[in-house]
Amino acid sequence: MDWLEKELAKALERKEPSPDFAAKLTARIESEAPRRSRLFHFPRWMPAAAAFVMLATSGSLAWRRHQGMVAKEQVMLAMRITAGKLNHVQAHVREAQQ
Amino acid sequence: MIELERVEETSCDFATLVREHQAMVFSLSYHFLHDRDLAEEIAQEVFLSLHKHIADIKSPEHAVFWLRKVVVQRSIDETRRKKRRPQVALELVAEPAAASSRDSDPLLGEVLRRLIATLPETPRMVMVMRYQEDLDPAEISELLEMPLGTVKSHLQRSLALLREKLQRRGVGDY
Repeated sequence: MDWLEKELAKALERKEPSPDFAAKLTARIESEAPRRSRLFHFPRWMPAAAAFVMLATSGSLAWRRHQGMVAKEQVMLAMRITAGKLNHVQAHVREAQQ
Repeated sequence: MIELERVEETSCDFATLVREHQAMVFSLSYHFLHDRDLAEEIAQEVFLSLHKHIADIKSPEHAVFWLRKVVVQRSIDETRRKKRRPQVALELVAEPAAASSRDSDPLLGEVLRRLIATLPETPRMVMVMRYQEDLDPAEISELLEMPLGTVKSHLQRSLALLREKLQRRGVGDY
C-alpha cells in the first residue's frame, strides 16, 4: 500500500451516523409494524371462513327461493280446489231453483 | 454446543446488528453519495429491510455480506433515480495542503473524498469498498457480482486518475 492508498484509507474511514440513528430506526419499525399486521397478516383461517359464509349465504337464498315456489304451488292448488267446490255448489243451487 | 448457539443467536439479534454495523452501512452510502442526510436515510431503509428479512440471516458473516450488498444497491439506485452526477466539479475542489505536510492533513482527506465523489458509479463503489472496508479485489468482485479483472482495472484506473488530479494541483510527487 503506497502513500496515496494510505491517505485514501484514512479519508474513507468509517463514520458514525447521527446519535439518534437507532432511536429513529426503532420509531420507524414500531410505526410500520401495526399497519402491516392489519393489512397483510390476517389469520390463515380467514379465507376458509369467508368461503364458508359465502356458501351458507347462497345456500340459504336458494332454500328460501325453493320454499317460496312450494308455497305458491300450494296456494294455487288450494284456489283450484275451492273454485271446483264453488262451481259444484253453484250447480246444485241452480238445480234446486229450477 | 449450547454456548455457541447462544452466541450465534445473540450476534444475529437485530439490535446487535444495528449497533455493530450502523457505521459501516452509513459510511458506505455517505462515501458513495457524499450527502450525509441522504446516506442516513438510505442506512435507515437498509436496516428496515434487514428487520423484515431477519429470519433469512444465517450468521453474522452473512449479515455483513447482506448489509453491504443491499446498501450498495440502494445507493446506486438513489444515484440513478435522482440522476446525481458528481455534485462537486473537480475545478471547485479546494487545493490541498502542500506536499511537505502530508501527515494527517484533514484538507487532503476532504479533497480525496470529493475527488472520489466525482468518479463514475462503479469505480467509485469499488474504491469505497477497497479503502473504507479494506476488501480485497476478490471480495469486491463477489459482492458487486463483477469479474475480478474488471475490479482490478477500476482500481488501477481510479488510482491513476487521482494521482494525476493531485499532481496537476501540485500536491506532490505521487
